Amino acid sequence: MAHADTGSLGVLPRRFQHATRLIVDWIPLAIVVVLWEFASGTAVPADVLPSPVTVSVQIADLLATGEIFSHLFVSLFRFGVGLGLSIAVGVVLGIGMARSAPIENFFDVFLSMLYPIPKVALVPLAMLWLGVGTGPAVLVVFLACLLPIIMNSYNAAGDVDQNLVWSAKMMGTEGWELLRKVVIPATIPHILTGIRQAIPIAFIALVSAELVASYEGIGYLILEAGQVGNYSLMFANIVVISAVAYAFVTGFEIARDRVVVWT
Amino acid sequence: MSDGDISISNLEKVYDDGAEKTKAIEDLSFDIDSGEFVGVVGPSGCGKSSLLYLIAGFLETTDGTISVDGEPIDGPGTDRGVVFQDYALFPWRTVMENVTYGLEEQGVSKEERRSTAQRYIDMMDLGGFEDRYPKELSGGMKQRVAIARTLAYDPKILLMDEPFGALDQPLRESLQDQLLDIWRDLEKTVVFITHDVEEAVYLSERVMIMTRRPGTKKTVVPFDLDRSLDREEIITSDKFVTTKNSVWKSLREETQPEVQP
Ligand SMILES: Nc1ncnc2c1ncn2[C@@H]1O[C@H](COP(=O)(O)OP(=O)(O)OP(=O)(O)O)[C@@H](O)[C@H]1O
Ligand SMILES: [Mg+2]
Repeated sequence: MAHADTGSLGVLPRRFQHATRLIVDWIPLAIVVVLWEFASGTAVPADVLPSPVTVSVQIADLLATGEIFSHLFVSLFRFGVGLGLSIAVGVVLGIGMARSAPIENFFDVFLSMLYPIPKVALVPLAMLWLGVGTGPAVLVVFLACLLPIIMNSYNAAGDVDQNLVWSAKMMGTEGWELLRKVVIPATIPHILTGIRQAIPIAFIALVSAELVASYEGIGYLILEAGQVGNYSLMFANIVVISAVAYAFVTGFEIARDRVVVWT
Repeated sequence: MSDGDISISNLEKVYDDGAEKTKAIEDLSFDIDSGEFVGVVGPSGCGKSSLLYLIAGFLETTDGTISVDGEPIDGPGTDRGVVFQDYALFPWRTVMENVTYGLEEQGVSKEERRSTAQRYIDMMDLGGFEDRYPKELSGGMKQRVAIARTLAYDPKILLMDEPFGALDQPLRESLQDQLLDIWRDLEKTVVFITHDVEEAVYLSERVMIMTRRPGTKKTVVPFDLDRSLDREEIITSDKFVTTKNSVWKSLREETQPEVQP
């Protein structure tokens, strides 16, 4: 094929390519939704696998009554605080470790220990320490997001082009100013990559914590709906939180490309 | 008068990365007058870049001293400016912001920074690209920005490490001629590393040939080309051709494997 890399879309006029690409991207999802619609009530009982139409009606209902928003707000607050803390701590630690051997030696062992732990497994422990509610959710989100942010900052700050640092030094930059004027700007694109990786991880941690250790939040709503056997409501809540997570990732990517125009 | 002479005596540089020691430079002594243009050639890995970064103050000497204007150097200083082979522009700064960096560090006011930077941007034929980021520029343009950035804060000494190595022939030639103009107009001392013998002879007043590693001064070839001539006349002149040949022969002795009897 002549346009091997762009697929058969390459033959279309440019202004149609974008729209066509969008349609092509969503076709697999559309197929699954259609199959799901047919399977529900035929191959699988409808109360175990409610149909997309039922779930959509349920979502519309949730949004109309506004009942979901207070829970969504609680969830997003926990997400924001947990992720925000992990960014604040992770960036400082990552850059600190990269630029100072004592800091690196001190924290290295903790990172090696934290690395293989499934962070969700810490939920019961977080409950033991912080009870039920926002505390354990924030703690688990924080811990889950910390590693990707530290690792990206650490690797990037340790790998700043030597010649850039020398360039700044020859023009008179010294000490802490080197950090501010060279190391941090050089590291920012990688910090943003770390945050981008952390966002979906944060939602996983958040919902996991809320399933177990909360009486509020979308995770709690999912569990509650399941317990009373309202599976279409459970599905509706899952779809809502997934859509919110997807929107955050996409929004963040758009914002990132605007901020680091130089990359 | 102190305006950019360099004195190197008994310089030695050993890299020690814990596991292994590499002696890059051994017992190198060499004096460069202020306002002089000196070319440095030598086999790959002989320590040319090391020498340049030692003069810049980026690396510490293992032994020996390097003095600028009679004072032993102590780290990097704004009296010396390096032009790196890979440009080393700050990717997060526009052309204008890169060129004003040095002036910013010297506390020059914003208007003055911009007008000074603009002068060098225009000199390097970069007008209209002030607000572009380095990633949007071609290799030749990046190298011109790098030169403008170094000239803008007005170091007395320019240290250039194969600055035109990655560029194609026509661009190299035009940048070489621009560099000669700048050198003459601004009266800088220039130390210019290259692996291209013709480039070294075309630009310099003296060429230092280094031995293979551990590198030291092998010979210094002084010559005196008639700079009032144009490029074609210079490179076809007898003096240019003989100088080039003698530098080339001397360099080849270092790059050819020794023939054992
Ligand atoms: N940071 C370093 N640590 C250890 N060895 C080094 C280091 N930098 C350079 N060397 C070694 O020192 C020697 C001289 O290196 P240098 O880069 O100065 O050579 P060069 O003449 O500039 O080479 P080229 O022509 O390839 O640019 C080489 O053997 C190199 O491997
Ligand atoms: Mg080199």
